[in-house]
Amino acid sequence: MINITIDNKPVQIPEGTTILQAAEKLGIKIPTLCCLKDILPITSCMLCIVKVEGKRNMLPSCATKAEEGMVVINDDPSVAAARRTALELLLSDHAGDCMGPCQVACPAGMDIPQMIRYMSEGDSSGAVKVIKEHIALPAVTGYICPAPCEKACRRGHVDESIAVRLIKRCAAELDLAESLPYKPDVSPAQDKKVAVVGAGPAGLSAAYYLAQEGVSCTVFDKNEKPGGMLRYGVPEDDLPRSVLDAEIEQIKKLGVEFKQGVCIGTDIPLEELKSGFDAVFIGTGKASPDDSLKFSINSGTMETDIPGAFAGGDVRKGLKLTVRSLADGKKAAVSILQFLNGEKVTGSISPFNTRMGKLEPEEFKQFPAAVKKEERNKPSDFSDGIDKNQAVYESAFCLHCDCRKADLCRLRIYAQEYGAKPTRYKGSHRAFRYIDEHPEIVYEPGKCINCGICVHLTEQKKEKLGLTFIGRGFDVRVDVPLNRSIAEGLSKTVDEIVNACPTGALAFKGK
Amino acid sequence: MKNPDLTKIDEIIAQAGTTPDKILPILQAMQKEYGYLPQPALEMVCRKTEITPAAITGFSSFYDQFRFEPAGEHTIRVCLGTACHVKGAKTVFDAFKRHLGIPEKQDTDSKRQFTVEPVACLGCCTLAPVVQIDDVIYGHVTADSVGNTIKEYLAWYDAKKKNEGKAAKQLKASDITSGEVRVGLGSCCQARGSGYLKDAVEKVIHETGIPAVIKHVGCVGMCYQTPLMEILLSNGKHYLYAGVKPEDARDILLKHFKPKGFAGKILPMISKGLDTILTGGEPLSIPRHAIDKREKHVADFLGRQKNIATEHCGSISPVDIDEYIEYGGFKGLEKAVNNLTEDEIISEIETSGLKGRGGAGFPTFFKWKALRSQPEKERFIVLNGDEGDPGAFMDRMLMESYSFRVIEGIAIAARAIGAGRGYLYIRAEYPLAIERMTEAIKMCRARGFLGENICGSSMSLDLKIVAGAGAFVCGEETALLASIMGQRGMPRLRPPYPAQEGLWGKPTLINNVETYSLVPWIIRNGGAAFAEMGTEKSKGTKVFALAGKIARGGLIEVPMGVTLRQVVEEIGGGIANGLRFKAIQIGGPSGGCVPAHLSDIPVDYESLTGAGAIMGSGGLVVLDETDCMVDIARYFLEFTQNQSCGKCTFCRVGTRRMLEILDRLCNGQGKKSDIDQLEELAFQIKQGSLCALGGTAPNPVLSTLEHFREEYEAHVNGKCPAGKCKALIEYKVTDACIGCTICAQHCPVGAIKVMPYKKHEIDIEKCIRCGSCKGVCPEDAVVVE
Repeated sequence: MINITIDNKPVQIPEGTTILQAAEKLGIKIPTLCCLKDILPITSCMLCIVKVEGKRNMLPSCATKAEEGMVVINDDPSVAAARRTALELLLSDHAGDCMGPCQVACPAGMDIPQMIRYMSEGDSSGAVKVIKEHIALPAVTGYICPAPCEKACRRGHVDESIAVRLIKRCAAELDLAESLPYKPDVSPAQDKKVAVVGAGPAGLSAAYYLAQEGVSCTVFDKNEKPGGMLRYGVPEDDLPRSVLDAEIEQIKKLGVEFKQGVCIGTDIPLEELKSGFDAVFIGTGKASPDDSLKFSINSGTMETDIPGAFAGGDVRKGLKLTVRSLADGKKAAVSILQFLNGEKVTGSISPFNTRMGKLEPEEFKQFPAAVKKEERNKPSDFSDGIDKNQAVYESAFCLHCDCRKADLCRLRIYAQEYGAKPTRYKGSHRAFRYIDEHPEIVYEPGKCINCGICVHLTEQKKEKLGLTFIGRGFDVRVDVPLNRSIAEGLSKTVDEIVNACPTGALAFKGK
Repeated sequence: MKNPDLTKIDEIIAQAGTTPDKILPILQAMQKEYGYLPQPALEMVCRKTEITPAAITGFSSFYDQFRFEPAGEHTIRVCLGTACHVKGAKTVFDAFKRHLGIPEKQDTDSKRQFTVEPVACLGCCTLAPVVQIDDVIYGHVTADSVGNTIKEYLAWYDAKKKNEGKAAKQLKASDITSGEVRVGLGSCCQARGSGYLKDAVEKVIHETGIPAVIKHVGCVGMCYQTPLMEILLSNGKHYLYAGVKPEDARDILLKHFKPKGFAGKILPMISKGLDTILTGGEPLSIPRHAIDKREKHVADFLGRQKNIATEHCGSISPVDIDEYIEYGGFKGLEKAVNNLTEDEIISEIETSGLKGRGGAGFPTFFKWKALRSQPEKERFIVLNGDEGDPGAFMDRMLMESYSFRVIEGIAIAARAIGAGRGYLYIRAEYPLAIERMTEAIKMCRARGFLGENICGSSMSLDLKIVAGAGAFVCGEETALLASIMGQRGMPRLRPPYPAQEGLWGKPTLINNVETYSLVPWIIRNGGAAFAEMGTEKSKGTKVFALAGKIARGGLIEVPMGVTLRQVVEEIGGGIANGLRFKAIQIGGPSGGCVPAHLSDIPVDYESLTGAGAIMGSGGLVVLDETDCMVDIARYFLEFTQNQSCGKCTFCRVGTRRMLEILDRLCNGQGKKSDIDQLEELAFQIKQGSLCALGGTAPNPVLSTLEHFREEYEAHVNGKCPAGKCKALIEYKVTDACIGCTICAQHCPVGAIKVMPYKKHEIDIEKCIRCGSCKGVCPEDAVVVE
């Protein structure tokens, strides 16, 4: 047995154990992309490097065998900086987006491509579930949202953007028409009470997401009916009130209590309100009736300078879109929850994303959906509103330019963890390629990090052709040998290599 | 394109074998047969051998030697080594492509007559810029001589084709009468036409019946004087001629030897008369070429040198084993085999203080000892002859000129560590070295210095040659071993060291060419004698390849501890053309630039590392005031990032990002923050790389940043102080122009209009900044701004 320390913690391991394995035994997590049990260390990603006392350079922990008395340093700013650099270098040669440009453009951060994938299979309730993770009033925004997502949509460079707003409205209205519309799960009741001031989009959104966490919510609103500007500002021609009522009804179903005709500030002073609740959310819109409600807002967390009070929506200057107010409400809900649990209030962390930016016309041809053009009904020809058949049909034209493994990609997970900046190093990079000729999988070489796992696995499992490294240096690519296709190259190892691929380079078809 | 003849594949496989490790010889044989690797042939190999498709594609695409498209009838390789680079190799490369009308991103002309490709280094640095057309090397090629070079080659090629089969009668040593003619046949000499010279000498001897024999000698090291020819008369007198042209051969020979018989007398007279008439002037004056070893520059060049690895330099034949034995060859091996135990050999090496000459300077005895202690008894010995540093050609010369000594060193080491089999891995760009080593192995086997019962003992040693396939990274020992085993040359983490787990998992000793070359001397004379030379920590001698902007370039062997300034100024004769000595690049892509003001440091491992350079394998490229240090750094990064195996993130992506920053700086698009990012990346790549290629790749940048930071800053401000970076300079004609039109005639792109007796002008839009005009102007009226 050998004794070493990692971050000053002693551990005893048998001879031949690597530093990475020793760390595992201690419960210390060392990041790695290219290491896989049962194959020899490949040492390509270099993410697992650690400092070893007495060594000039950092060493890859996956391949370095522990030696008696070794002093290993893993939790250290210089190690973190080196890992961040490795991640940033990999990202600088990465052609592929984590999130589609539509999702990035959506103020609420809705996973639009996923919604569309459900819709394209005719599963509108699946689609609604995806929408309502971020948007409390999908049908409402389906009527009035100016849809920044559609302006960002890549399909727009091919012919016309996908009709995201109408697809969403269709899904949401189909859901509302159900006898039992979608109701999210509600966590067991917590002994926490939150007052929401204002029943406009921000307040409704905050209440909707807080209620799901088992927080008791009371909405105070000066008007006769809830809805705020949506009811008292937006013309009825633009937004049918029945739709608004139906969606507010879904919020009430979560146990949210509404107190209409109460003006906080004049009827009940804020201080008094606060004393009866654990936290307050202020979503009173632009025109606050009382000057006493003046505060500054941290736009990251929605905290105000009044202890225990959060705010969002139109009370922030320059916020005009309903969907932005909805986003604020959800963001505030996250912060309020952290506050209620006595945690540090950080707000929701914006998910890591890399962007490949503008594509060349040639690169668009990589997308199978982009080739289909003739048979498409142009969204610009849609009269307002589409039925389910139209929505399903239109959904088939989405390029799905988001990453198929966005939630599983370890490159993304570590990039988020180490705060990697994908644009730190600029320069030449892989071309975007989307190879879908194989019946089960999609191969996107632009997302490959040359870790070598698939090359080793196909060799080990004696795949007839398999995959190999081609070329040398910066231009090394992984592909099937002898100029054969992916369909010819891969058969029995498909499941294994897709699951082992640390990024979205190899992914299964479908959702 | 006609279909390749696949029946040849069977022959190739029958010759090489069918196991996976035979991939390298099989592919090399295919490349030789077809000129490229045809897809159907590759598929056939996979069907008929144990080599998998993944292996064949992965392997063949890794090495530069292999092509997947047919090449032209002739291949022009333009050397882009360091010395060639500083003398404008890129311009020459562009000029060849322009001359042949080859479009960008293609390498072959439309008639498929010529393929033009870059080569990392041909190891003929003193003749920079160097170009190789098929097997013929041309030195000092310039942008405006490319047309003539091609013409000359084609003329030679046609003549050779015509004369095939009419080999001249070779005189044997037994015919010897009154003397010998020595012609240097190192690659440098050959590049300067010593091959032609040898042919000419043979022809003269044949025609005149002069009773002399031709003797091939190895490299004398005085590459700046090539081709060298030495006449030795039976009375003991000898005469050395430098820079000899083939047409001079007859005059020189007839000056020293009497032709045999009447015809012999008459023939040369007639043809000599004809020559004189045809050239319309005086015959070439011979004394111009004669040099005396007592002459000052020769004395300076040779004076400080101490020949150990290059013992008997200039007088010993590279291909005559008897002569090697006469000069004390194989005495060391005999002693090691018959009089010393394994431990005694290793102890002599320890006493000598010998450190590995490949670059890292690891104590040699330590490696040998580590092997001795391995429980596994099957052991391998390997020669690392993959000298890839651009600007270095020591090992090439040692293998070409002292092949027996290299083998003797290997055999002694094999005896010490108990190895019975070994491989000599020699880079493909050194065909002459491969040829000489192959011959030498045969001769040694015939004489009982290799094979069974070496020197009458029970020791046996079987050596095989493996020709590399064009990958710098294979100089890294773990990559080299992978390459021998038929894998992509990707380094792996050490430990385990090759001494523990090398070829096929067996303990393997791997040393550099020069290291082995020093061993016979050490064993013969004792380790203590070797340790008497050099400095406290760096013992013995070191062979350097001296090139660049120096008056006398060549190969030198000096005791450790001489100063860089002594090397540059005394041995090298200072900077050519009276320019200012700026810096000396040491250690190639892993090394750094030592500025002139620090050149009083002694040459030893410790001092060089202290100055931000490394000893490396021994390439010294001298730079003058017209060399831009940012461009030099860019040059090396371009090299290393191209040669990275591509496995690890820091090296694969990081060196490319560094290169892109340097490109921006040289193109005048750099920002202040680029320098900071460059430095930060250099640091991260250094500490995060797995092997020495990545770990040392940032050194050229770090050392130039340390000593010449102001040049980087000048580039950010759009200025190249040395006047080198093309995007930042303009050529202008001054009032000193006399209107001679020479510049206009030499401009390869027509940017100067012919205006007799008027001041010429350069069209900046058309100008490609090749510098041809500046080079030819007799009035120095072309300036760089």
